[in-house]
Formats: sequence, structure tokens, C-alpha cells
Amino acid sequence: MTYSSFSLWFAFAFVLIALLLSVWQKLGLEKEIAIGTIRSTVQLLVIGYVLQFVFHSNSTWFIVILIVMMVTVAAKNAASRGAQLPGIFWRIAFSLLITEIITMGLLVTFKLITPTPQYLIPMSGMIIGSSMVVCGLYLNHMNRETESARGEIEALLSLGATPRQAIQGVLKRAVKASMIPTFDTMKTIGLVQLPGMMTGMIVAGASPIEAVRYQILIMLTFSSSAAISAVLISLVSYRLWFTREAFLRS
Amino acid sequence: MKPQLEIENLGKQHATLADAWLFRHFSASVTEPEIVGILGKSGQGKSTLLRILGRLDKASQGSIRLQNKDLSLWEPEAWRMTMSYVAQQPVMLPGTVGDNLRITSVLHQRPFDEKLAKDYMEQLALEHLDWDKSAAKLSGGEKQRLALIRSLLLRPQVLLLDEVTSSLDMISKQAAERLLIDLHTRAGTTLLWITHDLEEARTACNRIWFMANGQLEEDSPSQSFFRSPHSAAARDFLNHPTSSAMAATEVQA
Repeated sequence: MTYSSFSLWFAFAFVLIALLLSVWQKLGLEKEIAIGTIRSTVQLLVIGYVLQFVFHSNSTWFIVILIVMMVTVAAKNAASRGAQLPGIFWRIAFSLLITEIITMGLLVTFKLITPTPQYLIPMSGMIIGSSMVVCGLYLNHMNRETESARGEIEALLSLGATPRQAIQGVLKRAVKASMIPTFDTMKTIGLVQLPGMMTGMIVAGASPIEAVRYQILIMLTFSSSAAISAVLISLVSYRLWFTREAFLRS
Repeated sequence: MKPQLEIENLGKQHATLADAWLFRHFSASVTEPEIVGILGKSGQGKSTLLRILGRLDKASQGSIRLQNKDLSLWEPEAWRMTMSYVAQQPVMLPGTVGDNLRITSVLHQRPFDEKLAKDYMEQLALEHLDWDKSAAKLSGGEKQRLALIRSLLLRPQVLLLDEVTSSLDMISKQAAERLLIDLHTRAGTTLLWITHDLEEARTACNRIWFMANGQLEEDSPSQSFFRSPHSAAARDFLNHPTSSAMAATEVQA
């Protein structure tokens, strides 16, 4: 089944339902719903046209620019959870970029995907997006853990530990906690939720087996990208929780 | 003799109140191994002073020199190994009693002195503890003694003791005092010791730093401080019903 751009307008009826419910229940979410609807529609339309242009141009430079843009936006988003840490944006951007290079490098080297914009851009988006979530979770856990384990860290510092030694336990717990959701998703995928990419392919007419094959590839890729990004961000960022004089930041 | 520790014009501003000082113009020095009792009412900045000396907190002004070398010229780790802070609230590191005892040898990759650890455990009446027991399951008093032993095994030249006997029963407290005084006599370890127990300060310390009115109000030999304090604030502190009662209770016990 296909539908025209005109019929897509009817999809806004779903937003109307949300708006009416918000007004009826006095939730005060009308502005949020309106902004969310407009932003997502405009962003998706723009990226649709951009992708169409890049696919047709088949230029490596456009692919690189798009990936750099994805990394920048993702790093900015994840860094908002660590606003008190100077230089966290660059560290996240570095971790995301290295994760992207290693993961895509392996996918192309092992000929798991064809190095064309149609594969490179969506796959990059998914890898960078999932790594962004991992980095955000890592920052959340680190912020919480350094506060709750302040006594432990300071006890170790008082015994002459280096910042790395003092924060090692906390770091390990945060890295582990940031990776767990990825592996939990892997355990229930297909049973609880049908992932967006697979659903999209099936709706677009691909055979379920073909769609599942790609989804398995994506899930396996996520496992390594989660591990790479979590370990990388922990290695390059742990010192930020200490001042230059090696005090634990408050 | 060159000063072991020199504190000059040290000050710490309140974290939340602008232009308000917790203490300032704090100057003192320790020229030879001593046991210095740090006294004063709560909220005078005694713990903050020790945390600054232990490089866990930053001073707002002033300088500190250890072994004739400015703080900024020391590696933080080397400084903390030389002058180590022991917190009032003991924190056990994850793992067992043995893990906590071995931590300094693990951190600094040096052989573990099991004999010394056992000796300290015995002196603080902890010889009955199973080294494989989870440290988190110890009682408050056991944790405080174990935390103290953990720091002693580091063998620092200066120990910064923040009310380390406050949650101990009388027998354990006296054992801890004996051990610390013995360490000072035998190894020449300097102790900067915050206590609210005036009897402990009177019997254990050679010297008193008395903090009041946001400054070091008095720096005197212990005997002279308790016999004839110079400042009105110190006289008031020593004559305060709570202080006297505290001292009297300790003497009776």
C-alpha cells in the first residue's frame, strides 16, 4: 500500500487526539505537542530531501559532512548531561567518531554492507544514535556515582591513590550500567518490540526474512559500538571529575 | 631545624555565603614531630582545615609548605602519602577486611607488611576479625578502627585525624590513643588531631591550636593552654558547661 503526500496530512489527526486529550485533562501539554509535531515534521522533511540529494550526488564529501553533523548534534545532546564538566563535548565527539570509524570500517571491510550512501548514512545514524544514548547514560551514572561514592573516592585519594585509581570502581560501575540497556534490548528484541528499521523495511515491501537479517546485523553492531563508546568515553573523561589540583569536583 | 609544615595566612571562604569566611589569616608551623590538638566549637572550620592540609579541599587564600617545599610543587599523590587525612566518618572500601588492609600496598605496589597489620589489629582489639569478612558488615567502631589502621599502614609522616575516636567505646578509644601516641614516639609521626574530648587533648597533645572567631585564636603548649588560656574565647570554651562536663565525664570514666 502507498499513500500520497496529501493523505499524510490525515496523520495529523493523531496529534489532534493528543491535543484534545491534553485540553480535556488540563495537562498543559499543548505547546509541547505543537512544538514536537512541527519540529519532527520539519526535521524529517529536511533530512529526507538532504538524503535524496546526497544519494543522487554519490559524493564522499557529502557523506562525511553528514556524519560529522550527526556526531556534532549527538555529542551536544549527550554533553548536556555533563554541563559542569569542562571539555566534555569534545571528548564525547571523539568517542562517537572513533566508534563510528571502527564500526563502519569493520562493516565495510567484512563486506557486510555496500559502501554506498544508502547504507552508510542510515547505518551511521543508528550507530551514532545508539552510542549517544550510551554516553548520556554513562554521564548520568558518573554524576550520581561520584556523589554517592565521594567518601570512597576521597578515602582512596587520602591513601595516595591517583585520580584514576581512586575513581576506578565508580568508573567500572558507570561503564557497566551504561551498556546494560543495549544488552537488555538484545535479549527481548522480536519478543517485546519490533525495531523501527525492521518494521520500516517490512512496511516498505521487503521480505520479513530480509528485514530480520539487517536487524540482526544492526543489533550485533550495537553491541560492539556500545562497548567501544562506553570504554572510550570513560578513558578520556574520568579526569574531568577532578580539578587540575586533583580534588574531586563538588 | 627547618619547619616540617608551615601554614601561612590560610583562609577558606564559605561555599554559599559570598564574602563570608569560615576562617582566615591562619598561620602556624610544626618544626618537629608533635601531637597538635585542634580544638574549637563546631563550625569553626577545623575539619575544613584538615581537608585542605590533606589536599581534599582548596584554600581560598594562603600557602602551605611541607618539608620546605610549597604545596604547588608537590605531586598530589606524594603529598597525600606524606600527609594523610583520616575522616571522622569511616568509609570502607568495597571488599573484605583484608582488602582494606592491603589497599595501600596494592595502590603503591609495595609488599604488604602482614606482621605490622596484625600487630595494629591486635593493639586495637580487632584480632578476632576474620580478614575474609565483608568490610561493609563491620560495626561503626570496628570500621573506624580499621580505617585508622588502613591509614597507619601507609606510614605517612603527618596524620590528619578528624575525630577518629569519636564513635569508639572507652576501652577502644584508650587503645587507639595509646597506639597513636606510641606511633608518634617511636616513628616520629606528627599528628594533627581534631577532638572534642578535652581530656584526650590534655593527655595526648603537646600543643593546642584553638580555633574561634574565624581564626586561629590560640597556638600554645597543651599544658599552658589548659592552665592559663590567653584568649577570652578559649577561657569561655574551657569554662563552657558542655566542655567542662565533657572533660569531667572523661576523667570519671
